[in-house]
Amino acid sequence: MSCNPTKTKNLHNLHNLHNLHNLHNLHNLRSAAWMALMALSGLAALPAAHAQTGDTFKIGIISPMSGPNARYGAFANKGAALAAKEINAAGGVLGKKIELVSGDSQCVPSEGVAATQRMISLDKTPVIIGDVCSSVTLAMQPLAEESKVLLVNAASSNPDITYRAGVGGFKWTFRNYPTDEVRAATVLEYSVKTKGYKKFAVLSVDSDYGRGAIKFTKRYLPKYEGAEILSEDYYKDSETDFRSVLSKIRRAGAQAIILYGQADTTPIIARQMLELGLAGKVGLVGNGEFNTKSTIASAPKVMNGAVEAAAWLPEVQAPRSLRFVEEYKKANGGELPNVHAYTHYDTLFLLAKVIADVKSLKGEDIRNGLASVKYDSPMGMVSFDDHNQAVLPMVLLEVADDKPVIKSAISSKVDYPAAGK
Amino acid sequence: MGSFLIEQIVNGIITGSMYALVAAGMTMIFGVLRAINFAHGEYYMLGTFAAWWCMTQFAADYSLAIVGGVAIVSLMAVLIGRAVMQRLIGQPFQAGVLATLGLSLILQNIVILAFGGGYKVFSGGWIEPIDLGDFGMSQQRVILVVVTLAVFAGLEWMVRSTRLGRSIRAVSQNIECCQVNGIDVEQVVRRTFLIGVAIAALSGILTGPINVSIYGGMGEAVTLKTFAVIVMGGMGNVRGTLIAGCLLGVVESLVAGFIGLQYRDSVGFIVLLLMLMLRPHGLFSSKARF
Repeated sequence: MSCNPTKTKNLHNLHNLHNLHNLHNLHNLRSAAWMALMALSGLAALPAAHAQTGDTFKIGIISPMSGPNARYGAFANKGAALAAKEINAAGGVLGKKIELVSGDSQCVPSEGVAATQRMISLDKTPVIIGDVCSSVTLAMQPLAEESKVLLVNAASSNPDITYRAGVGGFKWTFRNYPTDEVRAATVLEYSVKTKGYKKFAVLSVDSDYGRGAIKFTKRYLPKYEGAEILSEDYYKDSETDFRSVLSKIRRAGAQAIILYGQADTTPIIARQMLELGLAGKVGLVGNGEFNTKSTIASAPKVMNGAVEAAAWLPEVQAPRSLRFVEEYKKANGGELPNVHAYTHYDTLFLLAKVIADVKSLKGEDIRNGLASVKYDSPMGMVSFDDHNQAVLPMVLLEVADDKPVIKSAISSKVDYPAAGK
Repeated sequence: MGSFLIEQIVNGIITGSMYALVAAGMTMIFGVLRAINFAHGEYYMLGTFAAWWCMTQFAADYSLAIVGGVAIVSLMAVLIGRAVMQRLIGQPFQAGVLATLGLSLILQNIVILAFGGGYKVFSGGWIEPIDLGDFGMSQQRVILVVVTLAVFAGLEWMVRSTRLGRSIRAVSQNIECCQVNGIDVEQVVRRTFLIGVAIAALSGILTGPINVSIYGGMGEAVTLKTFAVIVMGGMGNVRGTLIAGCLLGVVESLVAGFIGLQYRDSVGFIVLLLMLMLRPHGLFSSKARF
């Protein structure tokens, strides 16, 4: 800033004043910046200090805790909390108590990623279990990879999640849950061979889960001669009016509806199928908690004969599974657990077992331990393939006399080259 | 094919009568307040929850729950009408937007806090199918359509022939003149709000048995659809709302039946956009009323 000597004194003064003013502003700005920085570092230091001084081991749970899918998050958190309580009562992991931290994804990818980001930078959880919704899990994978945080999924079934993991790319993603590929193949086989269905209509949720399951159903469909899909519809997760599409399905002459849907929508669809006179004429096959009491009770005539492949259900007769149901009911005022409560419960025990094996609480060690673990779950032996996908038992059930009946146990081994395009 | 078309139109009229029932209240409230009630879907949701609560808490019969549910929500409407809605008279429209959006958040979260965020199952209602030759329909839907027609007939009569109706019309034409002539504008606003909310609650309770799963956020989608309906019907036009509601329902139903369910929800938004672009004063009047 140069001063012109020909300027009058007044002007010069004014100019100085102006400079002074600028300086003053600058000073203010600088101190404000300092204050902001201090505040921020204080904020950041708070949880960090907590993580260092506390003798707990933090595990994050990302799940939908509000919105139309809040029910899943509630079950997931309650299941995990029960496992943490039991593990801590038995001495914790390497002498440290497990501390659960929850984040709300609302089943929306952007919200899930934001919650994960907060969890990683503020809570510094070395391990995160999440999400229930496939769309969110798919969005979380790159973030976990970049932050080198172990992401163990316990409830998303979209096949791509593990197609992209392990040798497929993401080294920090594991999934302790069956994929829709196995589910689709098994359900289709049972529907065609045992139930004798040939004409199918698709009515699934419009998400990576619903669409993914149908993609793989179509891949396996040509194996069965004469089997065909007559119509294909996807619903938004807040949809309540299915009459139009059900009318269409009825008129097309479908024998069964392939439904990979939300647990809360199944009763709506069942009720409206009853209304349209589809009960007993059109079957339901797929997945969407067909086996829960309230769903069956909403329209027993429709639900009888429904075929579902599920990772778990309360009716599984394995002793440790039955004990889990008892303990869960005791802890939650008699509420019956759903599949997500179980898988989150189970995944915490899986992690505890791996930590005990590798004798380390570091994310990287746990990750390496997971790859070679042989874990004895309440449902049977669990191990991971080279795509970090759990090979674990699941069940095929059919609803009969208003109750789910387990038809067979399936091993959820994915045959990658056979399925590849 | 012909009967499929008829079936889809019937489906659409049923869905549409639910839209119309909720929209009737929203359009009346707009008439007297010139404010879009963004919380209107919440009263629909509250009605369903109140009836559900009556049935689970007191093991009340569904028919009793209808009365109980409407009564509970009406009581809330009396309070909210006094505390919030009557204060919006003469305020700029931003005040109305903020107040009703705020109410919507508060009401939703009260329900989530009180009953939890998960879905509840609404049992009860008359869901046995009636066989209509080629296709079936539950009694509940027939009731919904009949009630809608009755409510609209009642509203039409009320607006034309009662003192309250005449003052509602007067207030929606010119608030200052009403004030000069000794009409208690605040009272008219409160009563219009009460009627609108009670009808929305009734609609929620009547659709409860068909929609089965209920949750705190269920009102949002309804508010959006309802908004499209009142723009189509002409803001403040009660009769137009009935036709617009059914029209939207029928178009949605045809789209779901012939194109695909995944495109159904887009209909309402496309209609809303087209209406705002081409006929912002609604389908049924040649010029704007306000």
